[in-house]
Amino acid sequence: MNHEENKIMAHRQHVKYFMRFLNILPSSLSSHDTTRVTIAYFSVSGLDVLGAISSVSLDLRTRIIEWIYRLQVHPDKNNGDMSMCGFQGSSTINIDLDPPNNHYRCGHLAMTYTGLCILLAMGDDLSRVNRKALVAGVKALQTEEGNFAATLSGCESDMRFVYCAACVSYILNDWSGFNIEKATDYIIKSIGYDYGIAQCPELESHGGTTFCALATLSLTNQLHKLSEQQVEGLKRWLLFRQVDGFQGRPNKPVDTCYSFWVGASLKILDMLQYSNYGANRRYVYETQDTVVGGFSKWPDTCTDPMHTYLGLAGLSLIGESGLLEIEPTLNITKRAYEHLKSLHAKWDNEDLHVL
Amino acid sequence: MSDSGDSDVAWTYYKDRPEWNDVTPVPEDEGPNLVVVIAHSEKFVDVYDYFRAVLQNNEKSERALHLTKDAVELNPANYTVWQYRRDLLKALGTDLRSELDYVELVIKNSPKNYQVWHHRRVLVEWLQDPSQELELTGDALMQDPKNYHAWQHRQWAIKTFGLYEKEMDFVDNLITDDVRNNSAWNQRYFIVNNHLGWSDLNVQREICYTLEKIKFIKNNESAWNYLKGVLIHDKRGLSGNAVVTSFCEELYKNKCRSPYLLAFIIDICDEAIKKGETNCLHNATRAVELCQALATKYDKIRSKYWNYMCEKFKKAQQEEENNKEKAANMDE
Repeated sequence: MNHEENKIMAHRQHVKYFMRFLNILPSSLSSHDTTRVTIAYFSVSGLDVLGAISSVSLDLRTRIIEWIYRLQVHPDKNNGDMSMCGFQGSSTINIDLDPPNNHYRCGHLAMTYTGLCILLAMGDDLSRVNRKALVAGVKALQTEEGNFAATLSGCESDMRFVYCAACVSYILNDWSGFNIEKATDYIIKSIGYDYGIAQCPELESHGGTTFCALATLSLTNQLHKLSEQQVEGLKRWLLFRQVDGFQGRPNKPVDTCYSFWVGASLKILDMLQYSNYGANRRYVYETQDTVVGGFSKWPDTCTDPMHTYLGLAGLSLIGESGLLEIEPTLNITKRAYEHLKSLHAKWDNEDLHVL
Repeated sequence: MSDSGDSDVAWTYYKDRPEWNDVTPVPEDEGPNLVVVIAHSEKFVDVYDYFRAVLQNNEKSERALHLTKDAVELNPANYTVWQYRRDLLKALGTDLRSELDYVELVIKNSPKNYQVWHHRRVLVEWLQDPSQELELTGDALMQDPKNYHAWQHRQWAIKTFGLYEKEMDFVDNLITDDVRNNSAWNQRYFIVNNHLGWSDLNVQREICYTLEKIKFIKNNESAWNYLKGVLIHDKRGLSGNAVVTSFCEELYKNKCRSPYLLAFIIDICDEAIKKGETNCLHNATRAVELCQALATKYDKIRSKYWNYMCEKFKKAQQEEENNKEKAANMDE
């Protein structure tokens, strides 16, 4: 590939790329069957950061919104139980189930989070979201340790879902399902000897989980719980991830997605401006497919929606022209974030009227 | 894992199996709004139509157990299938040892899948038998010495069942194979922190070990980070261990300009300043010089960061000079 040519954003191709993913996917992606909402999230948010939401037809927009709402799990009709509430990632298990199997139809925190992000990017007013139920669903998933499982039906718990739970609580403007103190404690216990943050206590520090942890501390207004030494250590650890692009762990290869995970972590700590934008930008562009659109993790490898979105989001953080600004903590555009803020104001008003 | 079902000639669809004709398949209800549709193979559709039926009927049978195997093969990331399989194992009283063998095979094919490792963990918990976990994760780490899932499972098994005894040898071998394996260094810390303890002797031993490795390859962030980690447990701090400080100065004298060395000396200076224990080697002026050297020559990619650090030290330097002046004035 001509790398000189590849320094220009293949804007039109990326829009088409995401549009294709929103429509139909090949059978080789069958292993993503239960997480289709995340593919939709990367595609919709990708279009958003490209400034191309307006090019989504009204018909497609309606289809996406209706599809997401259809994946919402509502309280149990018989006993009002809300512990399984949230969004499912697809309609694979979107069937009526009787006890004792009814818990199998349950929300998944990553899908609830990304589902809400899609609704926000599409301009929906979340009026059909059962906020109380979703918050109860979040609450049911926090463990004694302070972290979260993704679903009720047999699932690991770790830092990824702490972040998803924080995002859901923030978007719904309701923290009653999220024990902030316990989650903060878990995050601080997961800081390593090198000051990076891991998936769980004592595991290796990782760029992705460091983002999840820092974004959670920011969303819960707990960044001040970090000591000066921890903050300075984190700054150093994060900035040392830059090789040209960013790596996720020391001595690992650079990967496009860390331009977002590490970039956004630095942004949260107000340190991104001390990284090298030029080298970062050059690396991400090396992973761009200018012919059919998309970004990959390494140059000349297969593109995918996740790396495409995160590559664009990473470029947006360093002020690439032609891209909308990103709100790093929620990982949505500022445009979608402003829409959320207007909804929060509206909900506050409604609450006042009730009083 | 890709859905390669269509190339499987000998495959009989569930809908064509006489032993399943008492079950009505339940198709996926996508609703009227089709987005991000996966064009699944016919085999995938068939298997999952029957999986939904089994789940809806709460059927607990050997054939259902077998069906979950087919469903897992088509999509090992389907956590519902795994959970239902666990329900079946319990209900049927299936031999969990054979299940361990089975999940081992799946892990070998999908070593970076969260659901399979979770399944493994639940089985080990049920059996309260971790005897195969070190070997299993050891094999996975042979394929990929930085596989995060394997390390997570290994740490869990070691911590839950106290399997520390031979872990240091395992880690030693990995570090010998690749001194830049950051996961292995992290595991080393894990063992000392949970098992051996940070006695003065152990701290000193870990320092010597790490310095040897740094001597071998100086530009290795993993070893330098570990060194700092060990020194958290040295009461004298970063700057008080003569073995470490003289090692660093020796490297510096011998023209080593690894950014990790220079950053380490900067951190020693920083600590000395904060403790009010600066000396002729470790003080704000030296820190300023090192930051400038990093910014302009030895770590240019982080030049902005080193300039930022430099500004901090310049303030400290100013204070140092003010203090000196004050002291001089007092002498007069």
